[in-house]
Amino acid sequence: MSAWAALAGGFVGTVVLTSTMRAATALQLTRMDLPFLLGTAFTTDRRKAKVVGYVLHFSFGLAFSLIYWTVFAAIDHAGFILGGLFGVAHALFAGTALVGILLPAVHPRMAHDLTAAQSTPLLETPGFMLLNYGRQTPVVAVAAHIVYGAIVGGFVALAA
Amino acid sequence: MDGVKRTDGWLALREYAAIGDGRTVALVGSDGAIDWLCLPDIDSPSVFARVLDRDRGGAFRLAPTDAHGVERRYLPDTNVLETTYTTAGGVARVTDAITLPLPGLAPTRELVRRIDGLSGSVDFAWSIEPRFAYGERPRIERRGSIAFASARGDAIAVAAWDADVVQCGGGEISGSFAVEAGRTATIALAHAHEEPVVVPARTDVDRRLDETMRFWREWARGRSYDGPWREHVIRSALALKLLVFAPTGAIAAAATTSLPERLGGDKNYDYRYSWIRDAAFTMNAFVELGCSREADAFLSWLMHASQLTHPELRVLYQLNGREEAAERELPLEGYRSSAPVRVGNGAAGQLQLDAYGDLLDAAWIYAADGLDAEIGARLAGIADFVCETWSSEDSGIWEIRGETRHFTEGKMKCAIALERACSLAERGLVPDEHRTRWQSEAEKVREFVETRCWSEPRRAYTRSADADDLDASVLLAGQNRYSAERDERLSATIDVIRRELGAGAFVYRYSGAEAEEGAFVACSFWMVSALARAGRVDEASELMEEMLAAGNDVGLFAEQIDPASGEFLGNFPQGLSHLALVNAAFAIEEARR
Repeated sequence: MSAWAALAGGFVGTVVLTSTMRAATALQLTRMDLPFLLGTAFTTDRRKAKVVGYVLHFSFGLAFSLIYWTVFAAIDHAGFILGGLFGVAHALFAGTALVGILLPAVHPRMAHDLTAAQSTPLLETPGFMLLNYGRQTPVVAVAAHIVYGAIVGGFVALAA
Repeated sequence: MDGVKRTDGWLALREYAAIGDGRTVALVGSDGAIDWLCLPDIDSPSVFARVLDRDRGGAFRLAPTDAHGVERRYLPDTNVLETTYTTAGGVARVTDAITLPLPGLAPTRELVRRIDGLSGSVDFAWSIEPRFAYGERPRIERRGSIAFASARGDAIAVAAWDADVVQCGGGEISGSFAVEAGRTATIALAHAHEEPVVVPARTDVDRRLDETMRFWREWARGRSYDGPWREHVIRSALALKLLVFAPTGAIAAAATTSLPERLGGDKNYDYRYSWIRDAAFTMNAFVELGCSREADAFLSWLMHASQLTHPELRVLYQLNGREEAAERELPLEGYRSSAPVRVGNGAAGQLQLDAYGDLLDAAWIYAADGLDAEIGARLAGIADFVCETWSSEDSGIWEIRGETRHFTEGKMKCAIALERACSLAERGLVPDEHRTRWQSEAEKVREFVETRCWSEPRRAYTRSADADDLDASVLLAGQNRYSAERDERLSATIDVIRRELGAGAFVYRYSGAEAEEGAFVACSFWMVSALARAGRVDEASELMEEMLAAGNDVGLFAEQIDPASGEFLGNFPQGLSHLALVNAAFAIEEARR
């Protein structure tokens, strides 16, 4: 199985995932804005934060595609459906542990549930399954990650 | 001390003051309630709209719990409001502002209410009932000490310091506290649209509030006007600056929708658009006030907005330059049961000939320092279009729905459009291939006006060709220099309009308007300008004083005033009213020189 195929899938998948999430935001299904959340960990300038955030988001997209590839290689099987199933797991991990717990723990400008307004501005916490950003957020996140996983899985399978 | 009284839950419109940040405007009642706020922008759906619906609208209330007296003012030369409450137990001051952003991570929009204890102790209660999208109840929850309300793509976070523990329940966020002399409490409302909320920190809120005051003071002190009634002119300039939509330079006609022109009536329209009609007034005011950046941005917006429809002009455009303005009705009761409440504006697609004169006139005023060649070419195309169109009937400056006429003011503006095009061509700022035609057509328009829109028996310009009724908009013939100074026909028209459309200092828009609505504030100031340009400066000054006294306690005007009660009617604060005030002051100053 080709790691390059996984990376190509990761790039295309991240483009589609990002576009899907942005469209969902424009349709007012969610206030989730991953590039904004990631970028504000490094800068307080909104415009720079978005740029930094998009770069980070694409980097993470590529990194996750290599993790997918590792599992595909370990079980010697890849495909759209399997990739989609990985996407579900990926979304659940992102919504619960990654963005829900780990990001607030390391983000210098994000509040914890129990912190009060402090001397630096605090970003709204995502909450369980990102529900603080809108009730439809988990649905959008899972759907977008299924598409991401299916694309990565599909690219790896096609190149095999 | 019994504070401010509401009638059946409604506050008189003149009891409101406006605060804003160049993106949106909030109306703050003298009883401490913020009854109107759209987020994130002035033309977005409302979060607070109690001014349109007592139950569904939503509001941000803050007031002493005991009987109290109220005094308020804008902090000098700012759009920051200061309200002082006096109770039997003490005195406290509330400072209200929508803060301006500073470098660093800050909320997208931030409404701040700071309460300072001046003497004794004053007990306050506050409550926030957010209702997104014109009345939709949000999900409200408390996370730590911060309260959040969210619905679809919007959310607010409410942080309160020394204003008691935030309580959430029953669709509202509330608290109560006592502020003692020398102590300060602060409540900040942070908004986010399509992104997570940035919750403000107290020190940053204080810093932004201080910087916001400093910005407004510097902006006001940068205005170049030193003539009579400077305080009123600067207040109007500040009100206009509130209506300038900072991202594009467009100026909203007013901050609200559907405040009625007659109580209980249905002339309730959305004014959160930018009208081409206001272009020349705006440009003249900006240039005279030394607002060169605002003038640059406004002309740029005008040309950008009208690009897609060139050479035709829409009556109004969205503040971002888009032309869609589909009108629909909202399920809100309307101010004092004046239904329907509308968003969008059905007048957008009308033909209004005066808009062409206003655009060319605005460009002519602006072009004292030159004009971009591309803009010049576009203006030439618009002048050509006027040659083809001026003889058509139109809907007129007042956007009469379902009726077209040869309105006099529109025809006058067509002559202005063509003459301004000729003038710009003479200076090499507009291509001059069609200049002869523009001159020839301008003469035909003037002949039309002087023969068919002038009534010898009435000794006045009439509302439209071959008609007998009157229209105060013809007073603009002096301001836009259709008529020469001290023109006999215009002077005679002034007298007839004062006699037949006047009610004390006030002037109605047209014959019969007194049965439909209040007197139109801008028309009253146009009368001042017309008198000044007719050489009747003492009359103009006297009328100006009377009109200025008709403003509310903080110097703001709505669209109309009921001459009998003095009550404000129509959308508020109204840009055209303040533009007319500013231009009237200029006219008197110029006439006195």
